[in-house]
Amino acid sequence: MIAAQAGVLFLGVLIWWAVSTQVPADGVPSPVETSGALVALAATGPFWLAVWETVQTFLIGILICIIVGVPVGLAIGRSRLATQSTRLSFDFLRTIPPIAILPLVLLLYGPTPTMVLVMVVLGAIWPIVIQSVYAANQTEPQLDDMARAFQISGWRRITTIFIPGVLPFVLTGLRVGTTICLLLTITGELLGGAPGIGSSIITAQESLNNPQMYAYVVVAALLGLIVNVGFWAAQRRVLHWHPSFRGEGQK
Amino acid sequence: MNARRLRAFGLELWLPVVLVAVWWFASAGSTSPYFPSLQSILAQFASDWLSPSATRNLLPSLELLASGYAIAVIVGGAVGVLLGTVRALEEATRPLLEILRAIPGVAVLPLFIVLLGIELPMKIALIAFGCVWPVLLNTIDGVRGIEPLLLDVAKSYKIGAARRLTSIILPGASPQIFAGARTALAIAIIIMVVAETVGGTGGIGYFLLTAERNFAITSMWGAIVALGLLGYILNILFRLLEGGVLRWHRLLQSRLEAQL
Repeated sequence: MIAAQAGVLFLGVLIWWAVSTQVPADGVPSPVETSGALVALAATGPFWLAVWETVQTFLIGILICIIVGVPVGLAIGRSRLATQSTRLSFDFLRTIPPIAILPLVLLLYGPTPTMVLVMVVLGAIWPIVIQSVYAANQTEPQLDDMARAFQISGWRRITTIFIPGVLPFVLTGLRVGTTICLLLTITGELLGGAPGIGSSIITAQESLNNPQMYAYVVVAALLGLIVNVGFWAAQRRVLHWHPSFRGEGQK
Repeated sequence: MNARRLRAFGLELWLPVVLVAVWWFASAGSTSPYFPSLQSILAQFASDWLSPSATRNLLPSLELLASGYAIAVIVGGAVGVLLGTVRALEEATRPLLEILRAIPGVAVLPLFIVLLGIELPMKIALIAFGCVWPVLLNTIDGVRGIEPLLLDVAKSYKIGAARRLTSIILPGASPQIFAGARTALAIAIIIMVVAETVGGTGGIGYFLLTAERNFAITSMWGAIVALGLLGYILNILFRLLEGGVLRWHRLLQSRLEAQL
């Protein structure tokens, strides 16, 4: 299977290479040119600075979303009254395309990481809040009753009943949130001009350095890949007991 | 029953009403250049977006969004069904799909400009590329999650491939396909705005960023409201469609729950 997978990947590179020979006037650099540009870039300071800016904004953004979104969502979800009161507002806020506020934050903060961060948090927090509300709604009252009957209280009830119960739902929200967070980070840099991979793509394009532009797009893809794989691995580790993962070993 | 309905309705409505009222009164005498009063924003919104001339910016956006999104759903669904049924093909292409999916949709904008120019086809392709992955991957999961017994029965009754597709595979995978399509919708709107900043042929995104560049702050706020409403309305339409198509699914689930 690994051979087949490598074959398909190789085929993909081959198609890229074929396209690059067909498009006139250096429109599309070949895979060789692109990797050459990537290697050359990797030896420079500005490259790593751009990568670091993007990673930093992304990490701080998702961290703020988790620290604020999860507790607020869980607290609201514990109360029926709060859940009903906030449903319509959250539903509306969730559907506002976060990119709509880009011009506003651009005016307020200029092309800075803060600008990207504000947009990222306002865009990525809703799926996390909403899934956390949903998670707290779903906790089984029977388990709470049982814990009370067995006089399990306080800390142990939280770690053994509450957290395992809400975790699968919270993680679903987190996965959507992480994807949106990365997309918005790159978008904010690309459109708003804040330092990072997004604006480096534009800079390379404006200086007509196509191999470099492609190299940065490859870096963006690698970053996305690392985030996806990292999330999947973390989810597997945290939810190893959950039915959706438990079955995997028996195939 | 009616009183309870009314109570639930009031419970859902009081917070949005309070929030809008707070915004209205807090911004009433606003002299801040960046935060104009809600009253002037709504007046600007009405003149920019509720007049006949609004179609000039609204229609291109909707057309672009609909074309790109439709392509993504159709291609994602078709390829997803193929990869979901042919397991070896899915496993072989998995790494390539994971890499392509990981590319943030907007990062390929300059690349698409080089390949396809700055006109409509490029913008449609950009949206389609960004939205196809959630549909594709969810469809694969949905098809793979179909009860194998159903397919075995269909095979032993010699039911043809076409009927297997329309009466077992597509209905079985449809809840997952809809979940993917919903994520894709949110991504589509983001990429639409990004795509419209290129070329300048009108559209909500174009209007929004032009207003910002010209410091037409009230117009900009009006466009933010318009974009927010567009997102909300599209989501409601999506939910209605989903509710209609997946009616059988909900009925089945409530029946199963009733049996327990």
